[in-house]
Amino acid sequence: MRIPCPYCGERDAHEFAYLGDATLTRPDPAAAEAEQAFHDYVYLRDNPAGAHEEWWYHANGCRQWLRVARDTRTHAISGAVAARVAGEPA
Amino acid sequence: MADHSSHDPLAGIPFDRVPPSGAYGAGGAAGVTVATTDTPFIALVVARNGFAASVAGRLGRAFGVEVADQARAAIGAASTVVGTGPGRFLVLSKTEPDLAGTLRALLGVEAAITEQDDAYVTFDLAGDKVPDLIAKGALIDLDPRVFLPGHAATTVIAHIGVTLWRVHESGWRLLVARSLEASFTRFLVASGAEFGLRLENGTAGRG
Ligand SMILES: [Zn+2]
Repeated sequence: MRIPCPYCGERDAHEFAYLGDATLTRPDPAAAEAEQAFHDYVYLRDNPAGAHEEWWYHANGCRQWLRVARDTRTHAISGAVAARVAGEPA
Repeated sequence: MADHSSHDPLAGIPFDRVPPSGAYGAGGAAGVTVATTDTPFIALVVARNGFAASVAGRLGRAFGVEVADQARAAIGAASTVVGTGPGRFLVLSKTEPDLAGTLRALLGVEAAITEQDDAYVTFDLAGDKVPDLIAKGALIDLDPRVFLPGHAATTVIAHIGVTLWRVHESGWRLLVARSLEASFTRFLVASGAEFGLRLENGTAGRG
């Protein structure tokens, strides 16, 4: 599996560390339902068959976090953007 | 006649010692030469948010090279600037003992500077067989038709973190963390023995 790092170019997955779901948003700790929202945020994960967005850290490269679009059925990777850049994985 | 046979060029050399200078493997003209005798001054420049382009410009003007915010080595007569990540540059100098101080004066609040003089061992690899040697441990395409002079990469070779760039047609420079010098040298010797490898090291540290 090769990940197209926006800075380094295509790199082997061995150079990266995997974090997980990149679609979650940290809840507002001041909200009334914060406790339940944080439980969901920390523990509950969807397990989609198909398109997914994930955090990968390019540890043995540019040392940047990437948001990667991967198909969980085929491992086909359709794009990656730096986490610091807003927007869809290109 | 090679000093160390091609049958087992590392025979008798302890794992935790850097293999000594000498000829390894196949006899005749060495297909690869490896030298760690050059000890440039090194510093890391990390641009603060929003200053990557400005820092690249200042580095370029100060050292007389063309610096862009990408994985390239800008090679000048006395200094080289290598991109290792967005807004991150390794600067190497032959002539600036206080390189970090020089860079702080040059870049001010635009970047964080750390001295790296003793962090890395500088491996200079030369010879037509270098790409064949490195390919045995690399995960990236270093074919000389693809990886051109001035191209740089931060990656792993033989599971060891490396920043490397192609200096000219048949010369490559690799920076490896100093504590991994023995392991990385063993990889080079074991992988380069079939081509005949000449190793030159043994300089004392700067202290
Ligand atoms: Zn990268």
